Amino acid sequence: MAKSLLIISRQSPWSGPAAREALDIVLAGGAFDLPIGLLFLDDGVLQLSAGQNAKALQQKDLSANLQALPMFGVEELFYCAESASTRGLGTLSLDEAQPLAAEQITALIDRYDQVITL
Amino acid sequence: MSTLHVLSHSPFGDDRLTSCLRLIGSADALLLSGDAVYALQAGTAPFSALQSRQIKLLVLAEDAQARAIDVPAWAEAIDYPAFVELSIHHDKVNSWL
Repeated sequence: MAKSLLIISRQSPWSGPAAREALDIVLAGGAFDLPIGLLFLDDGVLQLSAGQNAKALQQKDLSANLQALPMFGVEELFYCAESASTRGLGTLSLDEAQPLAAEQITALIDRYDQVITL
Repeated sequence: MSTLHVLSHSPFGDDRLTSCLRLIGSADALLLSGDAVYALQAGTAPFSALQSRQIKLLVLAEDAQARAIDVPAWAEAIDYPAFVELSIHHDKVNSWL
């Protein structure tokens, strides 16, 4: 039985490679059928902001990769409700992501065998 | 199930410590290493936050010494072998990279 893995992504989408790297781990894990979950925390929730356009930054669209998560078998998608409300996030680009309160995040981390926070 | 949370960034101008304290469980422990030991600078907001939380708190002694940080009685200074042992005794380690 493969160990379950929770990735906690807490970096904003366009300031550096961290957000994409966290997503790449999740997509790779999903492709290999690992039981894998993804939690957006702190500035990481900004990756879920609807209507992002980084064409002028000449970067590839991260939100397109996010949409691919369910197709890669990654259905455990969560975000910190407090991080999102602190940052004024309204509409999110990923319908499948569920909002979690702090104590639910504690329980989520407990549930997984391994955790990587990026 | 218990998690060892490991912080290594300065708490000033970064919210790893704040977020970690928000979601740390009662069976969990927190280890401060590197610049994260600055959270134990007496009289600061991170110091008060840690003091009031009463969590199991560990500090890498050599990192605290190097930065002239006094480890308070409610925290435990440890060395690297103790760090390794601690990692084994918890079900998982969450390093806040």
